[in-house]
Amino acid sequence: MTRSRSTKTPAKKTSRKQKRQSSGFLGRWLRRIIVLGIVVVAAWCVWIDVKSRRDFEALQWALPARIYARPLELYVGAPVSANDIIDTLQRLGYRRTNRVSGPGEYSVGDGIVQLWTRGFDFWDGEEPSLFVEVDVLGRRINRITGDRNNSAVPLVRLEPVEIAQINPGTGEDRLPLTLNDVPPDLVNAVVAVEDHRFYDHFGIDPIGIARAFIANIRAGSIVQGGSTLTQQLIKNLYLTQDRTLRRKIEEALMAIALEIHFSKEEILGAYMNEVFLGQDGNRAIHGFALASEYYFGRPLMELPLQDLALLAGLPRGASYYNPRRNQQRALDRRNVVLAQMRNQGFITPEQYQQASSQPLVVAERPAQRGGGYPAFMDLVRNDLARDYDAEALQTEGLRIFTTLDLRVQSTMEAALEEAVKAVEVPNASKSPTPASLEAAMVITDAVTGEVRAVAGSRRPGYTGFNRATQASRQIGSLVKPAVVLTALESGKYSLASVLNDKPMTLQLDNRDTWSPRNFDNQFNGEVYLYDALQRSMNLAMVDLGMQVGVPSVVETLRKLGFEGNVRPYPSLLLGAVNMTPVQVASMYQTLASNGFRSPLRAVEAVTTGNGQRLARYGIATEQVFSTSSMYQLEWALHGVFERGTARSMLNRLDRRLPLAGKTGTTNDLRDSWFAGYGGDLVGVVWLGYDDNRETGLTGSSGALRVWSDIMNRLEIQPRQLVAPADISWNRVSAQPTNTEALKDCGAPLMLPLREGQWPPTPVNCEDDSSFVDRVIQRLRNW
Amino acid sequence: MMLQRLTVVLLLALLGACASGPGMQAPVSTSSPSASRGTVLPRPTPPEEQAPAATSSPAYIPQPVRIEPPQPPVSRPPVPDYTPLPAPERQPDPATPASALLSSVDEAMAAGDLERAAAISERALRISPRDPWLWFRLASIRYQQRQYSEAEGFARRALSFAGSDRELATQINQLLGQIP
Repeated sequence: MTRSRSTKTPAKKTSRKQKRQSSGFLGRWLRRIIVLGIVVVAAWCVWIDVKSRRDFEALQWALPARIYARPLELYVGAPVSANDIIDTLQRLGYRRTNRVSGPGEYSVGDGIVQLWTRGFDFWDGEEPSLFVEVDVLGRRINRITGDRNNSAVPLVRLEPVEIAQINPGTGEDRLPLTLNDVPPDLVNAVVAVEDHRFYDHFGIDPIGIARAFIANIRAGSIVQGGSTLTQQLIKNLYLTQDRTLRRKIEEALMAIALEIHFSKEEILGAYMNEVFLGQDGNRAIHGFALASEYYFGRPLMELPLQDLALLAGLPRGASYYNPRRNQQRALDRRNVVLAQMRNQGFITPEQYQQASSQPLVVAERPAQRGGGYPAFMDLVRNDLARDYDAEALQTEGLRIFTTLDLRVQSTMEAALEEAVKAVEVPNASKSPTPASLEAAMVITDAVTGEVRAVAGSRRPGYTGFNRATQASRQIGSLVKPAVVLTALESGKYSLASVLNDKPMTLQLDNRDTWSPRNFDNQFNGEVYLYDALQRSMNLAMVDLGMQVGVPSVVETLRKLGFEGNVRPYPSLLLGAVNMTPVQVASMYQTLASNGFRSPLRAVEAVTTGNGQRLARYGIATEQVFSTSSMYQLEWALHGVFERGTARSMLNRLDRRLPLAGKTGTTNDLRDSWFAGYGGDLVGVVWLGYDDNRETGLTGSSGALRVWSDIMNRLEIQPRQLVAPADISWNRVSAQPTNTEALKDCGAPLMLPLREGQWPPTPVNCEDDSSFVDRVIQRLRNW
Repeated sequence: MMLQRLTVVLLLALLGACASGPGMQAPVSTSSPSASRGTVLPRPTPPEEQAPAATSSPAYIPQPVRIEPPQPPVSRPPVPDYTPLPAPERQPDPATPASALLSSVDEAMAAGDLERAAAISERALRISPRDPWLWFRLASIRYQQRQYSEAEGFARRALSFAGSDRELATQINQLLGQIP
């Protein structure tokens, strides 16, 4: 405004003085403007300087929490097949070769797997990188030798497989590493192809710019960039689509500022971690270390020259040169990078020849990443929520070590859908709207309470309604072991106690009456307690439950580990209490641990990104029932497979017996349950419909079959039961009776009973008579 | 002087901004190929470039940056050439996994890291879940950590697996007797 007025001033008629005044006036203003401009620009520069320095110093990426499955342990006697090992190695991105020559490689021979582990920082210490030869016989490790002197190796732990992550809101993912951990070939490749004067310039590269400028003018369009690595770093750090001139000047100034305050190594290191190299769904792949895992399934250090060159070519256009989608372009780009390296003396012509003639081999895109085990991840999130807020999980790069056993989970997932289909009764409810039978399954470690596998639906990987943790259904006869346990713990009952399985009508508090029935509407009269449990007799159980008292049964449920709602009504004795499959698993866990309660756990430990232990969630165990009660109960539950409601599975499971378990069926066949355990695993299966319609299945015609199918594939181990000192075997009359006259000691039963709790005289076939007397007695009974 | 320096910087910046052609894609974009990206051409690279050499920084940068020359071309770090040999027929008794771990437990306890000792004991337990000595070991560690109720749980579990091992049972009962 000022300037335009002064130029309009007519010059012809003005005197010299006026002229001098005018030019003085003009000059003064011009000077003022220039000074003002300098001040403004200087302030801008200072601000940019301060801002870029501050931002770079505080540079801390939001890093997702990484979730790992339980690592595979190899030791002599481990129940692991060669395929189990190979499967894990493949998930870990190991490369199969003929001759193992470095970490991350393996070879397979006749029953022998050779492998070189990478080592890993576990929460309980560092696992070294190790070469071993594993000799496998069927499903058992026979021998492990290796290390430097080919001696026996007692124990090898593979790296854990990453199963999921909890991503930051930015959607960015990276594996930060220091420049020292970047292979020199990659550094050279990046410098060669992106900014070969990187070590000479001061943030911006005037020579490169001039060359690019001329090339662009000649071509009439932008064909060449003069952007330095420093400028590219700035562009990535401030994540802006803005391409205005002001923005670009600001970027250039920031680049200069960075170079003034930080070393080339610091800038290059930041670039290596920051640069955007690909997009995986809603996850942005940043930095070369993660890109290496993403495209090649292996750590950066293991990549050969040609793969490093491919990665170095990606910053120019991660999508355009995507090696999965645009193979040829990516290959051409890789060879351009290699040629640049050769031209600049980073590699020899021979290396160039060798590397550029290699085919392009990228890893399969990991399909299950992040969403692979949704039902299990629900448990993990639940466990973590106690100690970590969402922010910490999304930004601090925590490592979460879980108890998930990929062998168990994969076996279950592979079989579940088919197994459910095999038992499904089409349209059992005669409902006009079709629906499919749903399922949930929980498998835990029988000793430690660690969750090994979870399915929240009959379809593996289904991310919707998680029935394992959310479907709270009546448990039916699954409650009966708790009733029996209450009786055994009271000290007044034994397996030989005689119960009455006969019609009854109970007066309830609200003046209603309740007349329970047996499943088959039959009555068995006088029955032994163990028999009532094995054959799941409702009336005998109500008889027993009413004798011990419903509140005592509630207390037993609490001791078993059930924390949900329960109403102390007599109907509880037949399973009128709602539980999720996970809650059932936690109760049966206590049974499987012989009366020691260990809370179910899905998370074992949490460490920082560099392996420092933050928290460990170890085994906890508390004895809540006596070993002799547990022994008697378990003996009776073995009989469920041998004589009781699960005997239909005898053929399928005979090699695995003894196992313990219980079927559960609810009113109108709405729910089909089975909970059972062997020496190593506890498994709970629920089958039913989301709208609670009739399934047409009992516990034994539905859930038991699914359970047996899957547990058989998992080669569930038999129970190992050692009788406590106060248990001894006693003969009791074959016919349960309380009446001496009806006592039949002809073919007496052998039952494990606690001392001092032997049955009253009428049914006891033990007596003080000599062996001869007993022989005579038996002969007389013939 | 100041003015000159700034002008040089500004001009360079301006030039740089104008010449910066196909740069990197911002990571906020999705992976679907876009029209603009489809037309991006790789920057032709002049073939006459020499290997970069370290030089001093330009004079107008107040703090000169010292740079190490780039590494000479190095392939993968050399791995020891190791050819596995067939295992000898006779070997000294191989250590069992549990005993190997127990020596690590001892190390951790000697170093005063009781929680690590507990973690390693649990790792051993996963391999031998019925080994009463391992359960007893955990009980002792928890006792030392003054986590008495956990110590009692582990001790009772050890007892339940002790079977006929009288000596162990005596030791366990001793520990149980010491728990306040």
